[in-house]
Amino acid sequence: MTAAAPAGAPARAAVLGAGTMGAQLAAHIANAGVPVLLLDRVPDGAPAGDPAARSALATRALAALERADPPAFMHRRARRLVEAGNLEDDLARLADCDWVVEAVVEDPAVKAALFDRLAGVLKPDAVLTSNTSTLPRALLAKTLPAALQPRFAITHFFNPPRYMRLVELVADGEGDAGPVGALADFLDRGLGKTVVRAKDSPGFIANRIGAFWIQTAINEAVDRSIGVAAADAVLSRPFGIPKTGVFGLVDLVGLDIMPAVARALSATLPADDPFQAIARPQPLITRLIADGYTGRKGKGGFYRLNRTGGQRVKEAVDLATGTYAPAGKPRLEDIAGARDAAGLLAGDAPAARYAAAVMTATLAYAAAVAPAIADDVAAVDEAMVAGYNWRHGPFRLIDRIGAGRLAEYLTAAGAAVPPLLTRAAEAGGFYHRAADGAATCLSAAGRPAPVVRRAGTLALDDVRRAGAPLFRNGSAALWDIGDGVTLVEFTAKMNTLDADVFACLREAIRITGDGYRALVIGNEAENFCVGASIGFGLFAANLAAWDRLDAAIRDGQDTFRALATAPFPVVGAPSGLALGGGLEVLMHCDHVQAHSETYAGLVEVGVGIIPAWGGATRLLLRQLAQTRRPGGPMPAIAEAFTTIALAKVAKSAAEARDLGYFRAEDTITMNRDRLLADAKARARALADGYRPPPPPDPVALPGRTGAVALGLQVDAFARLGQATPHDVVVAGELATVLTGGDCDWTEPVDEQHLLDLERAAFGRLVRTEATLARMEHMLATGKPLRN
Amino acid sequence: MTAYRAPLEDIRFVLSEIVALERLAALPGLEDATADVIVQVLEEAARLAETVLAPLNASGDREGCRLTDGRVTMPAGFREAYARYAAGGWAGVAADPAHGGGGLPALVNQMVDELIISANIAFSTVPGLSHGAYHAIDLYGSAAQKALYLPKLASGIWTGTMCLTEPQCGTDLGLVRTRAVPAADGSYHLTGNKVWITAAEHDLAENIVHLVLARLPDAPAGTRGISLFVAAKHLPEADRAGGWRPGARNAITCTGLEHKMGLAASPTCALAFEGATAWLVGEPHRGMRAMFAMMNQARLMVGMQGLGLAEMAWQAARAFAGERRQGRLPGQPESDGPQPIIVHGDVRRMLATIRAQVEGTRALALWVGQHVDIALRHPDPAARAAADDLVALMTPIVKAHLTDIGQEAADLAIQVHGGSGYVREMGVEQYLRDIRIARIYEGTNGIQALDLVGRKMPDGMGRRLRRLFHPMAAFVEETRPLAADDPALAAILEPFATWLARAQGISLHLGQAAFADPIAATTGAHDYLKLLGILATGWMWARMALAAHRRLAAGEQNPMLAAKLASARFYMTHILPGIGPHATAILAGPDSVPEVGSLTA
Repeated sequence: MTAAAPAGAPARAAVLGAGTMGAQLAAHIANAGVPVLLLDRVPDGAPAGDPAARSALATRALAALERADPPAFMHRRARRLVEAGNLEDDLARLADCDWVVEAVVEDPAVKAALFDRLAGVLKPDAVLTSNTSTLPRALLAKTLPAALQPRFAITHFFNPPRYMRLVELVADGEGDAGPVGALADFLDRGLGKTVVRAKDSPGFIANRIGAFWIQTAINEAVDRSIGVAAADAVLSRPFGIPKTGVFGLVDLVGLDIMPAVARALSATLPADDPFQAIARPQPLITRLIADGYTGRKGKGGFYRLNRTGGQRVKEAVDLATGTYAPAGKPRLEDIAGARDAAGLLAGDAPAARYAAAVMTATLAYAAAVAPAIADDVAAVDEAMVAGYNWRHGPFRLIDRIGAGRLAEYLTAAGAAVPPLLTRAAEAGGFYHRAADGAATCLSAAGRPAPVVRRAGTLALDDVRRAGAPLFRNGSAALWDIGDGVTLVEFTAKMNTLDADVFACLREAIRITGDGYRALVIGNEAENFCVGASIGFGLFAANLAAWDRLDAAIRDGQDTFRALATAPFPVVGAPSGLALGGGLEVLMHCDHVQAHSETYAGLVEVGVGIIPAWGGATRLLLRQLAQTRRPGGPMPAIAEAFTTIALAKVAKSAAEARDLGYFRAEDTITMNRDRLLADAKARARALADGYRPPPPPDPVALPGRTGAVALGLQVDAFARLGQATPHDVVVAGELATVLTGGDCDWTEPVDEQHLLDLERAAFGRLVRTEATLARMEHMLATGKPLRN
Repeated sequence: MTAYRAPLEDIRFVLSEIVALERLAALPGLEDATADVIVQVLEEAARLAETVLAPLNASGDREGCRLTDGRVTMPAGFREAYARYAAGGWAGVAADPAHGGGGLPALVNQMVDELIISANIAFSTVPGLSHGAYHAIDLYGSAAQKALYLPKLASGIWTGTMCLTEPQCGTDLGLVRTRAVPAADGSYHLTGNKVWITAAEHDLAENIVHLVLARLPDAPAGTRGISLFVAAKHLPEADRAGGWRPGARNAITCTGLEHKMGLAASPTCALAFEGATAWLVGEPHRGMRAMFAMMNQARLMVGMQGLGLAEMAWQAARAFAGERRQGRLPGQPESDGPQPIIVHGDVRRMLATIRAQVEGTRALALWVGQHVDIALRHPDPAARAAADDLVALMTPIVKAHLTDIGQEAADLAIQVHGGSGYVREMGVEQYLRDIRIARIYEGTNGIQALDLVGRKMPDGMGRRLRRLFHPMAAFVEETRPLAADDPALAAILEPFATWLARAQGISLHLGQAAFADPIAATTGAHDYLKLLGILATGWMWARMALAAHRRLAAGEQNPMLAAKLASARFYMTHILPGIGPHATAILAGPDSVPEVGSLTA
């Protein structure tokens, strides 16, 4: 399912430079199903006749990739698509490549020298890009042959490229319709990236603003004596910025990266750019780097984990003295007297004034430089959202605060008000929506420009704006997404499943059956669904409300089965976590259109139960249907047993298929933004001449003797100390279900029999103290209890 | 006036059928607490209560306490009675033998409390708070503090108090103002005023040990800045034998006694601390924790006050209804003369109500009480934690539900007495006056309900509720076959099963509402506490009925057993359905309680 490169994808690609970024990029291109050549220089002194020694740099980088955490490859098949080589012996092979991306050291001379060697090798229609983060395209293109110029672009990926959504694309406008346009499409559909067109300016978009933000935040924290943890508390949630804030982010990126970026920006930005005034080295950072405190990759950075005395204490550095002390968890109310952006901007507490100083300066900077770095403010916002994981870009953030209010604030503080901000203040904001729903934003020139949704995407925001839901309750909603297709959106906290979700699914089946053609189950949250809401289940169990719990299980089984047998196609569209019940719902869909970054697993054993909404049954039936496996049904049963008993979680959609969670025919979307549109298209395609699948055939299962055999396996684990006492109990119940309970090979059992076994096993487990302790622990800590 | 008779037969029934004493004796340290020993102790306690304390109840009420020159004189006979009490070892029945205590289960202490309370609740308040003081020092005091104070409290030679309340600071302890200033020798000087302090001054014992909440100079505001101190009326002074005796008078003065609705023989004092010498108990700023240790124990004891007076109300009402002759039943010849009022249906209803409540809640209180011992002593940490969960859940229920019942019973007893009940000489109205405060102090019953719904219910997503609901549900499952075979049992077991299921549904409803909006759910807190109190007592009745049924079927000749079955039936038909209105109120939700604006319009 990985290796199905989209139409228009390069048949073959090459990455030059096997540093961290180059190697990770190669891996991700392979994730899209494209064979990649990863080349680096020949190490000094490597003998001419020793290919292994000559390609050692790339080979070593590849080996490191396999151990990368989080994983760089989505599947081991992708690993096989990457081939290591060197820039001398393998240079000629670039002639086969449709896309060559350069990721060598950030030195214009080195890059120019490399490009010189490529000129004669690349095939005429190949696209050459550079992954530079700071060097302007014009500078790099200068020495290229004229023929290559329109096919040369900057593709600035963010690290790690599998997971970071942003690619900044800087191209010469002429090539857009041709090769560069095709590449942009591949970056979008094939690599799943948010492609933002940037003007050819230093640092492009995201890092230009990001570096200013970080530098300002550090300077102001030092000058105002604001603690690291307090700074991160005010510079995160209140502004829709990830909880790492600034110092946590620098720890993540690497303290040593920061001065390098600042130097590069200083060297290339005009002398009057506001960044020049704030770009000063911080002696503390220099000292931390020298002491090995380079961030999470080193001994720690602004934060470190102190493990002395058997405890893990998060400590933060004192910016004045350089000593570490417990970071604590500053509460916004305590340190700043406010919880949101408006409150911080109006606040008097030192931490509030700090946040206001940093954010107003950053937003003003964004407004000042926007005309030079992007075509419109929407591109800037998109870059900050995709590149820095901000919830709103700077201009949406200004609109939330009020452009006029920000301008007044700046004036009061004696700072310049950028013309674009003045323009927005006059216009009443950067973004507008016409009566017909068409959205506009301010262009670089300060005029309204349309905000266009990319073709092939479907945004629930647009659906919501278009009208009321067909049905809604506290935990889910049903939408008409056009063309005869409906969509169920989960809306509870963490998208958990509860009685309301089931009620909505049943309504969805009724309403869709009555005038619609197909149903999609999907949403835009970070996680598709983390499973059942165990809080309610635990509360009911504590009350010994066994009838209610049994009814809840029956409710889920019946609802999911109704999805499976509905007279129209149902397509599941997961992204992020699809755990427990969240995966069970997908296993009852006719088709799964999964985002490549889907992490699926039947993890019920972690809370002391088994999948009882048909998940155990479905996985068993799927494994039994795998006719290729030799040795009769027992290995299939054992496979399902191990998968559930070990709570295996797939680290990608591709892996989920290997585990039997998804089927061979289920499909993958690489770009999150395209997931719902792809799922809808799939649903429409299935709707023509749709016939619900027949009920699964009865299966022959071994009964008690089979359960005993599986039990021996568990006992062995227990003896090795790898299974806890309650693991043995839970696995025993699972074995009973998967082997058919009281039956034998001679009497095939049907789906209902298996579902009844699931329910009975759940009922027994939820009456044990150990299972309830696991649930309580999971709720309290988010981690499984090993009891 | 009715003479008190300790209800030993009923207590024995509960001990054998509900508590299962042999399980307590199996706990480490309680090997000697066999049923025989415990019954013997109770018989002696009954003698003290019946012959020494009960005769002083009415006279104490009439005479009250007197404050002269900062000294409180207790009513006539109390000094001698307290001397008998202390000499009998009653102050330290459950205290550690290492500190001179009796080493019996806390449950025994609880049962003895009931008898003393029934006989003379005002008297019981004086030594009553010594238990809390003992407990707090035992848990949080230094070794030296334990060695000094625990033997004095366990022997009853000294008594104890809990000094929490101040004029501006009642339920909201965060408002405590009393200051503690460190002195050079490691002691502290306390300055401030405490009010409504029970037994803070009296002439029953040679010294009084005050446990005082106060603030250190660097204390944060609110409850996070409160520390616990110990300050004695007379500064302890080492004697030649290596022990301690009362030394110089500390700067603590009783400045007033409250004039109260009831409990006239219990001195409710205003105390002035004027640089009084004190010592820190436990860690600085951790006083609330220690206070709760005292408080939780005190709350169970206040619940016993409700039970004790309900028992007294029962004895008085039953006796009067058997003696007072008024009216005849329809069809009875005039020559029969007027009949004892007990023959009348409504009087029987009132008596049956009091008895079903008294005996049912006694079983409940003692069932909870045995878990105090299990939580303290069980060798398995999981069993200790489970028992602790149960006690934590049930403490607010026992406190509030039992004091409500104490008041209802006292009121019904007056009703049974008719006009005589309203007259002082009859002695019944004293019960109503005396018990009224129990629904208020040690955390009002409203606070108990908040504790239940705001803290005990949500903790661990209802983990504490498990300790009550799992055994009740298991009971229903186990007894279902019995109910199917026997219509008489079915009449008792089936209503319980029905109301249990209803209560589970209501609990789920309230739980979901409370998790969504904890503040809004507080309007249902009182009703939920009552619901659980009525239900848990119903379970006790179902269990007692089953036991009585078995014993009768085994041929045991004992009228009490048939009475138990009758009470159980009555409870199921007349009291258990009382859950209904509470359920309705909970389901009506927070909006059904008028807003402030509407109440002040």
